[in-house]
Amino acid sequence: MLPLLGGLFLGWSLGANDAANIFGTAVTSRMIRFWKAAVLAAVFVIAGAIISGQAGINTLKGLTQLTLEQAVISSVAAALTVTAMTVVGLPVSTSQSMVGAIIGIGIINQQVNYAGLGKVAACWVGTPLGALVIALVLYHILGYGYNRLNLNLFQSDAVIRTLMVLAGMYGAYALGANNVANVIAVFVGAGMIDADTAAGIGGGSIALGILTFSRPVMETVGKKLVRLDPYSALIVVLAVGATIHFYSLVGVPVSSSQAVIGAVLGAGLVRGVNTVRRKTLYHILAGWLLTPLVACCLTLVIHFAIHLRYTP
Amino acid sequence: MFKVLFKKENQLKSLIFEYMQTLKLSQESFLNALQACLLNGVLCENFNFYIKQTHKHESRADDIHDEINNLMYSKTLIPESRGDILGLLEALDTIPDLFEHILYMIQTQRLTIPVAFVPKTKELVAVSLECCELVALQVEALLQHPDKIREHMAVIDTKESLCDHIERHIIADIFADTIDPHAKLQLKELIEAIGDISDRADQVSKRINIISLKRRV
Repeated sequence: MLPLLGGLFLGWSLGANDAANIFGTAVTSRMIRFWKAAVLAAVFVIAGAIISGQAGINTLKGLTQLTLEQAVISSVAAALTVTAMTVVGLPVSTSQSMVGAIIGIGIINQQVNYAGLGKVAACWVGTPLGALVIALVLYHILGYGYNRLNLNLFQSDAVIRTLMVLAGMYGAYALGANNVANVIAVFVGAGMIDADTAAGIGGGSIALGILTFSRPVMETVGKKLVRLDPYSALIVVLAVGATIHFYSLVGVPVSSSQAVIGAVLGAGLVRGVNTVRRKTLYHILAGWLLTPLVACCLTLVIHFAIHLRYTP
Repeated sequence: MFKVLFKKENQLKSLIFEYMQTLKLSQESFLNALQACLLNGVLCENFNFYIKQTHKHESRADDIHDEINNLMYSKTLIPESRGDILGLLEALDTIPDLFEHILYMIQTQRLTIPVAFVPKTKELVAVSLECCELVALQVEALLQHPDKIREHMAVIDTKESLCDHIERHIIADIFADTIDPHAKLQLKELIEAIGDISDRADQVSKRINIISLKRRV
């Protein structure tokens, strides 16, 4: 169990951070109480991890061959990267951090699956773009139906709130399905546990992060999203869920934070409003480039440090 | 099942309807008071009674407003809807406040409306109160059948223009008359205050339209 600790810590921090992208709006605007949201998110994250998490696990473990020691190094390096980037204040993706760490191991082993890496990198570019397009399409399609219903104030309020909770549940399912690989795939690759057990343990650690530490992040991220009108906020949550669900079917772990930015941009484009500041975009770009690089370097440094031998 | 799920929302809706009912009562007392004043002079017993009634209803409306605020901040509705309802109630509150202001103006300044101006003043009051009734229907539409909102807004807009027109005529007539100049200024102030009722109703009506438009994608 001890070697798994790095992965479990990564899962815990992923749950604490990324649940905000899914349920932040609903909790901050008091559409749902934190504890209800946290329990729903935890249940659906575990369900997503167990039912649909295997594809991502297979992709990540296929990037390179790992020993158990290398699996531990990569998960610790990824967890440290996430912590360091959060402290510096740059938006960080657990997926990019984990892939960067695995590439580091691949460099050490002189064996990197470049085809798999290409697929992962393409999906990283596709995440915000995909979320943007999905948000645009959903905005128009659902908007057409919403307008035709001609709801009064209370009905409109009830519909938005109900859909927001349902979208949150779907988003949590997709998050579990997509991101469980980041937490546990390296240990499956090292042959320590099988994929099904890994999905359960990984999902559990993300759920623990949601239940124990997601509240402050939800309140911070949620307040930013609440500035959107309620319909746009709903579209953002749905688009994020759909985007990460799509990539979990493809089998590539992606960042829900980057999906949120794309979806917010998409919802803003429909209304002709600039919803994301340029400075935020530069921050995201910096985080995007630095996260895998830092994780890769940290993996190399940790590996080097562990294998230092004192020769008198 | 939905009634159980949205219990607080239903409670809120009932409170808003109760608030509107209280506004209607306040409006009726205001009309009765004005009629008593126009027919019998200022200090008649009925006038004072209707002032008290108007104040009582206005006060009750304030209490319901507070209840609505408390209920809304106990996790009912999304923030945007809360803000819209609070804004709407604040705008609506200005109407009974104005009723009270007009009646106190008549009472404290011992105003009497000369017979020559009574018919047009009655017309101004009638059209202004029609605007208020239409606003009540518009609020009902916002909470039940939003497709009627624009229709009501258009009628209120027309009636508000008519009120402005009547108001200008009465003021012109007042200054063309030979009554005491002080009385002219007092009457002008009173007529302007009565004319203000339709302006406030029109403002509320436009706000309701915006609230409804915000719920279109």
